[in-house]
Amino acid sequence: MTVAVYLPLLLPALLAVAARALAAAAAPERTARALAAAAALAATVSTGSLALLALTLLDDLPALEAREHAAAYPLPEPVPGVVALAAATALVWVGRRCVAHLRQARAVTRDLLAAGVPHDGLLVADLPEPHAVAVPAGAGRAGHVLVTAGLLRLLDRTERAAVLAHEHAHLRHRHHRTVAFATAAAAANPLLRPVSRIVALLVERSADETAAAAVGDRHVVARAIAKVALAGGGRRLAGGLAAGGSDVVRRVHALTRPAAGRFRAAGRFRAAMAASAAVVAVCVAAGGAAAADFVAVARAWL
Amino acid sequence: MAALWAAGEPLSPAQLQAALDAGLAYNTVQTILVRLHDKGLLERRPAGRGRGHVYWPARDAATAAAQQMRAVLDGPTDRQAVLRRFTDDLAEDDLATLRALLRQEPPA
Repeated sequence: MTVAVYLPLLLPALLAVAARALAAAAAPERTARALAAAAALAATVSTGSLALLALTLLDDLPALEAREHAAAYPLPEPVPGVVALAAATALVWVGRRCVAHLRQARAVTRDLLAAGVPHDGLLVADLPEPHAVAVPAGAGRAGHVLVTAGLLRLLDRTERAAVLAHEHAHLRHRHHRTVAFATAAAAANPLLRPVSRIVALLVERSADETAAAAVGDRHVVARAIAKVALAGGGRRLAGGLAAGGSDVVRRVHALTRPAAGRFRAAGRFRAAMAASAAVVAVCVAAGGAAAADFVAVARAWL
Repeated sequence: MAALWAAGEPLSPAQLQAALDAGLAYNTVQTILVRLHDKGLLERRPAGRGRGHVYWPARDAATAAAQQMRAVLDGPTDRQAVLRRFTDDLAEDDLATLRALLRQEPPA
């Protein structure tokens, strides 16, 4: 087996680099979907590579061992046994993480659906903290918005409309799916974690833009985000995050920045998109080459 | 419903119409309130002296929803990570940035 089998495991690191440039993309919805799809594809090929490496353990089966000894010429050595063993271990670990993550996402949706029956797509929870979440469709029900009384009391009429429009945008664009693809990809290959974080930011940006269009004022959305965040609508992390601030600050900045600055960087985004596509294409090609390789070695053995 | 929750006190149809500011006719607001009351989502009492009723949200459903939501919010951290809230993960450093932004903005 050649180096092709290892490329899909490592190349996602390059995808993460390209994705970083897309965090402020002007078309967040399209970019989020493209990145989630790219991450999912890269993760699939990377898992395929692990599977190929793990399958080479089969050459230690007694039947194949016997064949190796009986062969008139030396059979091609697939990969070192240690590598194959490590790949098999990683494969089990990836599987468990993906299943655990899926279970968690389902449990949270189920718990939120159990909170009650919405009216006109809205369910109010009588809690003082300001929270709003989009509860995706499930259990034969359309999706709805779950919002606390604290949030409704905190905001004025247009800010409330902005939050509801934001959450309805999540439902309409099925953002939970986009995010689920990206998170599953990150569970399969940890190098994709930055990509999944950027997808999460981009779906929020997309919903913010929809909300801004709905209420006709970007500053109203920015103000609603700032108010809710300051009033404790999220987890507080001690210390600072990465440069550029947390997602909340990035969203507020994106909404308050003058329009001219928003579109100036379009060329850079196109380049980053092309780079991401190229990385995924190389991943797929390497995965294909590795599979062909594997078939050739297997033929020689059997 | 959201406007009634935001008010935090019982509203008459006229007060709600003003709070909504959505160009709804008085009769439309009245009809919606009566319908929500029939469904058990609102409670009401007479406003007195022939002024109709004032309405406020029924607490039962919202209290049940609150308990369930509290359970999710206070659940294990990995579950909280799955939850996509309106605002999430704020660093201490960001508080000043956001306060500055709110000060710049014209008051709502």
